[in-house]
Amino acid sequence: MRLRFPFVMDCGLYTTSYQEDMAILFAPGAKVKVAGITAFFLLFPHLMNGLLGDSGLYYVSVLNLIAVAVIGALGLNILTGFTGQISIGHGAFMGVGAYTVGVLTTKLGLSYWLALPLAGVTAAVVGAFFGIPSLRLKGLYLAIATLAAQVIIEYTIIHCPSLTGGSAGIVLQIPSLGSVSLASDTAFYYFVLIVVIVAVVSTLNLFRTRVGRAFMAVRDRDIAAAVMGINLLKYKVMAFGLSAFYAGIAGALLVTYNRVITPEAFTVEVSIQYLAMIIIGGLGSVMGSIYGAAFMTLLPIFLREFADFLGNYFPNVEQSLLAMETVFFGLIIILFLIFEPEGLAKLWKDIKNYFRLWPFSY
Amino acid sequence: MRYKALWVALLCAFLSVALVAAGCGKKKEAAAPTHETKEPVKIGGIFDLTGGTGDVGEPYAKGANAYIDYINSKGGINGRQVDLIDFDYKYDKTKAVEIYNKLVKQDKVTAILGWGTGDTEALKQIIAGDKIPYISGSYSEGLLDINQCPYNFLVAASYSDQARIAMKWIKDNWNSSEKPKIAFVFNDTPFGRSPIDDAKKFAVENGFEIVADEVVDLKALDATTQVLDLKQKKADFAIIQGTSNLTATVLKDAKKNGVTTQFIGLNWAADEKVIQLAGDAAEGYIGVIPFAFPYEDVPGMAAIKEYLASQGEKLEEINQKFVQGWCSTMVMLEGVKRAGDNLTGEGIKAGLESLSEFDTGGLSAPVTFTPESHRGSEKVRLAKVTNGKFEYITDWVGYK
Amino acid sequence: MLFQLLVTGLVVGSIYALVALGFVLIYKASDCINFSQGEFLLVGAYVSLTLVAAYDVPFLLAVGLTLCLAVVLGVLVERLVLRPFIGEPVISVIMATIGLSSLMRGIIQLFWGTETRVFPAIFPQEPVAVGGAVVSQVYLWSLALAVLLLIILSLFFKFTTTGIVMRAVADDQQAALSMGISVKKVFAITWAIAAVVAAVGGVLLGNINGVNSSLAHLGLKVLPVAILGGLDSVPGAIIGGFFIGVLENLAGGYLDPVLGGGVKEVFPFVILVVILLIRPYGLFGKEIIERV
Repeated sequence: MRLRFPFVMDCGLYTTSYQEDMAILFAPGAKVKVAGITAFFLLFPHLMNGLLGDSGLYYVSVLNLIAVAVIGALGLNILTGFTGQISIGHGAFMGVGAYTVGVLTTKLGLSYWLALPLAGVTAAVVGAFFGIPSLRLKGLYLAIATLAAQVIIEYTIIHCPSLTGGSAGIVLQIPSLGSVSLASDTAFYYFVLIVVIVAVVSTLNLFRTRVGRAFMAVRDRDIAAAVMGINLLKYKVMAFGLSAFYAGIAGALLVTYNRVITPEAFTVEVSIQYLAMIIIGGLGSVMGSIYGAAFMTLLPIFLREFADFLGNYFPNVEQSLLAMETVFFGLIIILFLIFEPEGLAKLWKDIKNYFRLWPFSY
Repeated sequence: MRYKALWVALLCAFLSVALVAAGCGKKKEAAAPTHETKEPVKIGGIFDLTGGTGDVGEPYAKGANAYIDYINSKGGINGRQVDLIDFDYKYDKTKAVEIYNKLVKQDKVTAILGWGTGDTEALKQIIAGDKIPYISGSYSEGLLDINQCPYNFLVAASYSDQARIAMKWIKDNWNSSEKPKIAFVFNDTPFGRSPIDDAKKFAVENGFEIVADEVVDLKALDATTQVLDLKQKKADFAIIQGTSNLTATVLKDAKKNGVTTQFIGLNWAADEKVIQLAGDAAEGYIGVIPFAFPYEDVPGMAAIKEYLASQGEKLEEINQKFVQGWCSTMVMLEGVKRAGDNLTGEGIKAGLESLSEFDTGGLSAPVTFTPESHRGSEKVRLAKVTNGKFEYITDWVGYK
Repeated sequence: MLFQLLVTGLVVGSIYALVALGFVLIYKASDCINFSQGEFLLVGAYVSLTLVAAYDVPFLLAVGLTLCLAVVLGVLVERLVLRPFIGEPVISVIMATIGLSSLMRGIIQLFWGTETRVFPAIFPQEPVAVGGAVVSQVYLWSLALAVLLLIILSLFFKFTTTGIVMRAVADDQQAALSMGISVKKVFAITWAIAAVVAAVGGVLLGNINGVNSSLAHLGLKVLPVAILGGLDSVPGAIIGGFFIGVLENLAGGYLDPVLGGGVKEVFPFVILVVILLIRPYGLFGKEIIERV
């Protein structure tokens, strides 16, 4: 129970039991807010359809891409943000998931709904395998080892044409759930929204369990963690596996949406893009993964619109659009690292705090 | 803290400018149709300007844009202006699918000018489902299956046909009693691999000895190992399926390492850029040429010249890939024209399928489409580089 | 065949060695890997090419000017991008250099586009026969330059004050600071030297078959070289370069026909994994890696 004097503002949260302290929806009003946000996203396609008619679908398709990125970013954040192990191989793990779905459904004729979880599992196994070097390697050296994993997996995908279709890739059959085909943006949207909600909630919960706390202990100081009885081998490999599981699911969803599985979708650039997402969103923050994924997906779209706009005045600007995209990508990573290493999550918190305490901020 | 405030302000400023700009961009688009009496025709473009095949993709896209500008300056098609909404997809299949979705769902285009083999083949089922007539820069045999790809049209001879024609020429000009040794140089993409199986089959049937497959990257700047392999296996001929950059690298490294193989490049591996990049090493190189060079004196070139003059440019500044883009767009818009006011995918498809021996003014072989076959042409010319210029060594020929 | 592959491997390896040298220099002084090394190389190649091709500057003068520009670029990058990361966690530094590589790649593309550009022929194009194998002359020049740079850098680290100061900083930053050494200045010098080395590599590579964005991939490709030799060892980088050059050519020559191409690209990384598991500090590196 909380006692409140009705005429003063809150200046803190006072929990009186351990249960309250551990709650996900920590602050008063959070439940209302979460319910509101969920309702908004549930109604989003109808809203867009009502406001913009048919072309509202495009915004749904953008949201679909963001949703997939959120799942991937959550996975990488578990590994890099929460467990402190750098991975430049996330793109390749996504590829493993994507190709698992492709091969299982097109070559072996398995049901998509069985192949999807198997994609996660396969990616997890591969991820755990490439996580084994993390026992001997740290920091920079680990980053290079995961980079090697990326290159080797990519090579394997391209050079097993009988299984993966080589550089041509695989065209996926569109799965359907009952009578509803996932081909339409709206159908896919609801499907992926459910997956995202499950992923977010289970990640939030993960860090309230023993495993999650062990991950964070490993990140903060692995030797100290080992002294406290945390089995480093087990937890590091588990973090790699878990992260790759998310990656595998994200990869599988991405190709379900695109309908085409090609090696270019899973290059080292993709790995770097996911790293950028979690850095810009906020390392070690679940909400940060969401912000970062949204930010990085929207950035090229905004730039494209911006170039379209500039194109009215400077006709050749659209030609250098992709170059500008690369410049902005690099610039934003560097600026965030220098000025806001904790990412958008921290920025958002700061802004909220500023207004909450206004005008008596301290 | 001082810096941080600045930084937050900057970020917000950037986002708001982008948002405002996005809004303005929209308005401008929406305002355009009021000038015309009829709604414009929207054509999508998925081009590669900066990716693996940007060396040939950029002039192709320019040519396509140029033809549309030219047609619009002449009053458009059936009184409609043509609106080309094009994007650079960087030769990335995933990006191509993304752009395709945007073009079809948001911009609602009626037809698309595409580019690569990989992305066109990946999209073919989706294209058929959406009923979007699709002319791409890819002449892959795989796009000719009328049941699977009813909306894909190939303006020129397919890669497989091109390779067959090249081999037929070799056979006709081969005097020795030994079997000619042939090798294939290609890049590891669906584009590179497209003609290889068909070509090998043809080679075996026609008494060639296949000695090597060499994989060279599209943007490679070194092909030493590959050309040394050709040397060791004593290949008499090598067919190159790649773009200008790959070809120039192979030719240069062949010269540096004293390789005497006669190289023959298919469509995308043969243009002025190869000569420009390879210099002396390009002498004697043979190209399979389905489209005209800008310096040729053919009737269709007059329109290009006129357009370039209006832009303050000259024929010398463009290359053959520009002509190719121009010509492909011309075929597409002819289909749109014949569709009349039935501007749906089916209408344009029917329009294109009514093309019979369509004369592009000598810019390419005459183009014929029927409801049963979208193989626009089966004929190409071969040209050899002599004194830094492609000189034709055959007339329009097929392999049959 | 074997001999030819060996010779080709050695000469290609000399260029790897040059590029790996850049990694090693920066790692030695500041314990971080510069993932934008490939872009530094590209800048060197493009700048010298533009000077030679567009402004008709004599080749040697153009190289000189390029190197001056590389010094400025190196110092600038260190001051603007890397300095805030002194003492930050590894992932920040890695991501900063990755961001830098993206930034530079974009700017390069804005200036020079993506098309291949070729140098006017500077080195003779005719191949040289070395005991039955043929080698293109550019490679011989790069071999000579790599050896020359190795000698110069070894002497520099051994005898000049600046070199000794740099070694001191690499050894222990705090001790160096307490001796009155300006660590910031040393970092700036390090980046300048690394940029110069990369630019030299870029000029040489550009002369082989021209310049395009794919040259920058060499930055990543050379990582296994630096690791094999030991990230903090100058001679290690040179020997690692030759070693990887030969190995990948042998692998390409003998395994490509079996596995269907592209082995050359992946083989160094397979070696990399093996080295990391067996001997993470490389052949000549110092064993200071913290074991978990």
